[in-house]
Amino acid sequence: MRIKTTREKRIFYIKGILRWTLYYVLIFFSFIIMTSGTWTKPILLIPIAMCIAAENNRYGAVVTAAICGFLIDTACGRLFGYNAVLLTIFSILISLLFELYLKHKFVNYILLTSAVSYIQCRLDYRFYYQIWGYEGVEKIFTSVLLKAWVYTVISAVFIYLIFKLINRFLMPRTHLTIEEAITKIQTK
Amino acid sequence: MRSFFKSAGFKVLLAFLAFLIGIMIYAVTKGGYAVSGESFINTITKPFRSVSNNISMKIESSLDKMNNADKYYEENQELKKQISELNKQLAEYDALKEEAEELKKFVTIKEEHEDYVIPAPCKVLGYTTNDPFMSFTINKGSADGILPDCPVVTAENLIGITTEVSEHMSTVETILSPDLSIAAVCASSTGDYGIVEGSVASALEGRTRLVHLPKDNQLKKGDLMVTTGTSGLFPKGYALGTVESIGYEETGLSMYAELEPGIDITRLSSVFVITDFSGKKDYSDED
Repeated sequence: MRIKTTREKRIFYIKGILRWTLYYVLIFFSFIIMTSGTWTKPILLIPIAMCIAAENNRYGAVVTAAICGFLIDTACGRLFGYNAVLLTIFSILISLLFELYLKHKFVNYILLTSAVSYIQCRLDYRFYYQIWGYEGVEKIFTSVLLKAWVYTVISAVFIYLIFKLINRFLMPRTHLTIEEAITKIQTK
Repeated sequence: MRSFFKSAGFKVLLAFLAFLIGIMIYAVTKGGYAVSGESFINTITKPFRSVSNNISMKIESSLDKMNNADKYYEENQELKKQISELNKQLAEYDALKEEAEELKKFVTIKEEHEDYVIPAPCKVLGYTTNDPFMSFTINKGSADGILPDCPVVTAENLIGITTEVSEHMSTVETILSPDLSIAAVCASSTGDYGIVEGSVASALEGRTRLVHLPKDNQLKKGDLMVTTGTSGLFPKGYALGTVESIGYEETGLSMYAELEPGIDITRLSSVFVITDFSGKKDYSDED
């Protein structure tokens, strides 16, 4: 086992607190942007939840995804908890995929975020518009929801860059102890 | 992957998911009232949303003016003629005194309709994200006496109805929504009647629709439609919009008319909620 010094532990905690504070500041501002004005806006909280799920502790990411979901419900006037359930499920899946199968690469992130936001968009359309059988309902999908999905995917690029920057400075790096390094070399 | 599904962590995540579904089901049973978690989010974010929305609306308004200057100039000229003919007072309308004007109108409504119970004017906090039917939130809620299904108006026009009420905020569904049906009658001598019910195509153009019009109607462009007040949900005589065009329904059995609301629903800054009026019916028990 690697023994951490008191100083290392303190830096680890401070970095962790700072990182999560910045995440939540970003979440808060994204929510404010989402609730301002009347133009079609991206659902910024989806790429944020996905970014956090891809890089962080699974439990923290799941709770954050649920919070993001609740905020989306409030901003979009949806049933309170609907998007929270969706994002929680997606967050667990994304976290597992990155842990077991995928590398932390931009392409993987953008593909998964696009898929997740498209599924969210389709479900939103299905449960909030199509199911009621409004006349010409497909126009809502093409004129509003699809546009919002495209904006979400575009905004995901910038959100990825912001998170990359935050994580570069504040994500604790994993170091190998001498024993771990020796074991690794021996197993090769 | 298999070890994950067998782990205690997976069970914890499942329990958390069940908890969230529980919240969602609880929210369904609230019948128009926001759950406490949503109220908490609304209370915390209310001042920020208000400031941010003001900034955003100003930017939108400026961009809109720049993009559509020619179109607005023509519309403005036409509207000026119409306004001067119909009501000279409206020609003096000044955007800079909008809030003061709203307060004056508030007093007028109270004087003209002594039976109306109206809390102070409500500020529009923001529009629901990506909603084609332009529902919005206002800064007053159950603490101010507002209940679900209260009519929301400006001085002359019906805007919609409150749908979800939390302690200090309420959501308003507008007349652009297909979920809202309002009995309407023509204010002119023709007396033609129909139901105002939004449609997707009309809502995307900022209009609403008058349906179930008899084939032998005498409506023409520019006719004003007002509420009949027969449902007991809306007060009588509020303007819903003017007729823009008339056509046959797909079935050919009746006609419809496109209505242009008397006020731009996408640019509201303040509204009034009528919490009680004579002839109001209470539908809460039926719900």
